[in-house]
Amino acid sequence: MNIIESDVTRATADDTWLKSSCSLCYGTCSILAHRVDGVVIKVEGNPDSAVGKGRLCGKGVGGLMTHYDPHRLRVPLHRTNPRKGFNEDPGWKQISWDEALDEIAAHLRRIRAEDPRKLVVQRTTTVTASRAPSQAFVAAFGTPNFSTAGGGLHCGNGAHVISGVMHASWSVVPDFEYCNYAIYFGASKGHAAGHASCSNMGKAADARFRGMKMVVVDPFCNFAAAKATEWVPLRVGTDAALALAMCNVMVNELKIYDTPYLQAKTNAPYLIGPDQLYIRDPKTQAPLVWDQESGTARPFTAVPSARMALRGSFTVNGVVGRPAFALLGEHLKKYTPERTEEITTVPAANIRRLAGEFAREARVGSTIVIDGVTLPYRPVAAIAFRGSQGHMNSVYNFLAVDLLNQLVGAADVVGSCLGFNPTCYGHPDTKLPYYVPKADADGLMVTGMWMGYHYPYPTNKPRMPSKQLGLQDVFTMGMTSPFLNSTDQEMLWEKFDVPYRPEMLINYGANLLMSIGNKDVVAESLLKYKFIVSFDLFLTETSVLADIVLPDCSYLQSVDSRSNFPFIFSLPAGLGEWCWPIRQAVVPPDGEQRRYADVLLELADRAGFRADLNAAYNATYDLQSPFRLEGDRKYSFDEICDADLRSHFGQERGLDWFKQHGLIKWPKKPEEVYWRPFVDVRVPIYWEFLKPLGEQIAAITEPRGLKIPRHYYQPLPDWIGCPSHACDAPGFDFYAFYYRDIIHTNSFTMENPWLDEAARLDPFSYTIAMNRASAEKRGLKHGALVWVETEKRRKVKGRLAVTEGIHPEGLGIAALAGHWGDGMPIAKGKGVFFNELLEVDWEHSSPVNLNLDLCVKVRVTAVETGQ
Amino acid sequence: MRLGMVIDLKRCIGCYGCQIACKAEHGTPPGVFYARVLKREEGQYPNVKQFSLPVLCNHCEEPPCVDVCPTGASFKWSDGIVDIDHDKCVGCRACMMACPYNNRYFNDGNQNYFGDAGSTPFERARAARHPTGVVMKCNFCRDRVRAGKMPACVANCPTVARHFGDLDDPNSEVSRLIKERGGFNLHPEAGTKPSVYYLPA
Repeated sequence: MNIIESDVTRATADDTWLKSSCSLCYGTCSILAHRVDGVVIKVEGNPDSAVGKGRLCGKGVGGLMTHYDPHRLRVPLHRTNPRKGFNEDPGWKQISWDEALDEIAAHLRRIRAEDPRKLVVQRTTTVTASRAPSQAFVAAFGTPNFSTAGGGLHCGNGAHVISGVMHASWSVVPDFEYCNYAIYFGASKGHAAGHASCSNMGKAADARFRGMKMVVVDPFCNFAAAKATEWVPLRVGTDAALALAMCNVMVNELKIYDTPYLQAKTNAPYLIGPDQLYIRDPKTQAPLVWDQESGTARPFTAVPSARMALRGSFTVNGVVGRPAFALLGEHLKKYTPERTEEITTVPAANIRRLAGEFAREARVGSTIVIDGVTLPYRPVAAIAFRGSQGHMNSVYNFLAVDLLNQLVGAADVVGSCLGFNPTCYGHPDTKLPYYVPKADADGLMVTGMWMGYHYPYPTNKPRMPSKQLGLQDVFTMGMTSPFLNSTDQEMLWEKFDVPYRPEMLINYGANLLMSIGNKDVVAESLLKYKFIVSFDLFLTETSVLADIVLPDCSYLQSVDSRSNFPFIFSLPAGLGEWCWPIRQAVVPPDGEQRRYADVLLELADRAGFRADLNAAYNATYDLQSPFRLEGDRKYSFDEICDADLRSHFGQERGLDWFKQHGLIKWPKKPEEVYWRPFVDVRVPIYWEFLKPLGEQIAAITEPRGLKIPRHYYQPLPDWIGCPSHACDAPGFDFYAFYYRDIIHTNSFTMENPWLDEAARLDPFSYTIAMNRASAEKRGLKHGALVWVETEKRRKVKGRLAVTEGIHPEGLGIAALAGHWGDGMPIAKGKGVFFNELLEVDWEHSSPVNLNLDLCVKVRVTAVETGQ
Repeated sequence: MRLGMVIDLKRCIGCYGCQIACKAEHGTPPGVFYARVLKREEGQYPNVKQFSLPVLCNHCEEPPCVDVCPTGASFKWSDGIVDIDHDKCVGCRACMMACPYNNRYFNDGNQNYFGDAGSTPFERARAARHPTGVVMKCNFCRDRVRAGKMPACVANCPTVARHFGDLDDPNSEVSRLIKERGGFNLHPEAGTKPSVYYLPA
């Protein structure tokens, strides 16, 4: 038995500040928890840490009200009513941990013997500490069906994958210290939620104060747009068109781009044949470039980059080849500012002006000296995130925005668009953690660090039958998948010969009924499971459908050896410090609460796969000898955390050392932060691999009746409309979208009464934002109760907030409000449940990366009396 | 000495960090805000601006709340902090009528944030501070300031938008910011000479 014997006992008289980590969002800022006589009376930021720098957002500083919520689960519960549904009372009965664990372990043993893939594990994004233990558990158990459900599907099949391909990181952010001109497309970084959110708030404020110009392209003027130098409202979901038009102006009208960067750091000079593929050296298979000096086509490795042609047309081995950049230049011509104005509603003159401002401020060719190192200086950044990528066209939307950076060489150099910490040479004592991007055979960048086992590039070869329920074996660019919960999942599983069906779900903290799409659709998928276990803080709408609910420990009761690792996720980017904080328990569990990671270890023991789990932890934590876990020895999670820390930072720096110090930090080097000139890798401005990937996928899917729209798989990005853009039904004249509120994290914080109180005072947190003129035209008044209804007759009700700050066709709703369950009574009935409007099926998923379409065309009508 | 605060509206993003940090520091009951954030918009689409305005007691140099208090409960310390002696407050609320800024609150009974579910250990640890039937307001975190710390809202602000110091000292950071950035008060026409200044967005 290795379940918690807490090392924190209730003191009769104590007054202690403990160094730990927040977990009210995935930013995971470093905190100091003030405990007096066993009660945490204050949480503050830890000023010693680079993560938050001693300051916390409203959520973080209000975390106590979540921790001490009397509605938290305290005992294991077992349902007595076998029928599940919205109107079924589960008939909860308290059971002992022994009973619960025995029953769960029996299911695990049976499933692992039959087919381990029948187990699905889902976790919330909010608690970063749940990622590694979940990952190790599924790897050890032998199921590929692991999903990040609390928002992963929405936030970034495009944003994260393409940040990985182009910046070797999970996400991108301006180099706030040096950037002079940032243009955001549906992003709030530094102004609300997101990776390193609180740290970025300070950095963005410094940049604003310094005079960085900030242009925010967004249908809604909130958060980033509220602080912007210029707000550029556009039609929902048309960001790619705007970005491509700006690229067109830069390349074809202004002719401003960074030739040496494109030659040396991208595949712009690679020769493309009439088949849209690289022309390769017959001997080495290396992509060819045109050597302007010798007048011959040679492998890219054999020609100094400055001699590589970016323009022209050359005959090579009997075929006509053109540099990828030349093809891009021609491709962009169709995005004239005038045509793009029709798509986006952004005036053509503004598109030209914005492109000119961005291109000129990039100062192509300039350098700057930092800490004695001469570095390229490109003080512009184009940043996209959830807003612009939350569409079926998420791959191209994100890529189109990043092309702005790539054209002027504003990628991971001083002042530019930065990935979050893609290169780390490690702590001076141990040289760990160490990771650097590297090149594949085509010279293209492979990230040095990732959040999962499978890197975003190179993509896997599509294969049959699909081992994964989400069909990522076929759609290999899909990171998370809607098919775990879609209406058409059975049809798809049959088509792709999935040889098993899911039977058991382990859910950690994700409220799937709210976080994916329409709740009836998601519920239907959950009701198919024979057995659901849910670890949770509260009896959420989703946990109500479980067979066994386990009471989780809060962040103030838990341990984690790597609060902000991988650094590509939530450590602030840019110059400063590497910082590795931990989480430690500040107070003991209440009632029978137990820590998730410890329970997973206990389950592995009871189900008989502890040796596999130890091995998986060795891989997940990259443990080095002599700290590797051995055999089936029953380590506690504290011991595993201790091994992780000693393995990375030396024998003397184990968990006890970290509990005392809270973190370890060391200075970042300019060559780490601005790594691009120092690492010989290229990134694709021309996605040559996409077309063959599409063909390989189509070869599997089309004989099975699933057509692959090839225009999604072209090597150069396009703007492709969503289903909402094709909807012309009379009366359905608003593009509804959701956004992430500054005061809430997913659906979870709605239960925190301090945050709820702030949200109730906010004009938009719990309302539906509509443009004033649009409301007047329809006779709708501020504060009116309205129905928002889709063509598919899905509808939600809410109060209208009339504002000048939203596009006339946009309808903005804060994400993940509108709880209906009794398990979170503070949250119940507050705000509007946007996701109710979303379909979850193939038709609304990107055929490239399975990103769900998150905008929807709606009709808005006043609620009649009595409705 | 005249302690005062400067709030930089250029840096502020309206994250509510100050409002909640104050809640965490003082454990004030529901509906009572020593610090809060107001939001408003100006202009017409598409030339529109959204503003956040953090507000708190202005610790006026000439506080009308002190003048009208019949019992002397509302008073001003020598360092300029306007405070309430809850032992003397009879809850007449004259000060709330007198305050031009609506930054005083009446605590009309024992309340907790979870209603019938009862008070939390945190609330119980903090409850003793708050007598009922009295008026409550910000006192610039007097206990923290005396211990050499910044007020909770200042220390916590993620954008470093809040500054605190001696307005009488021309070399203090607050005095310098007011001078260099054109610091202004809210409703100067009320004539109360607030000690809370704002820097333009």
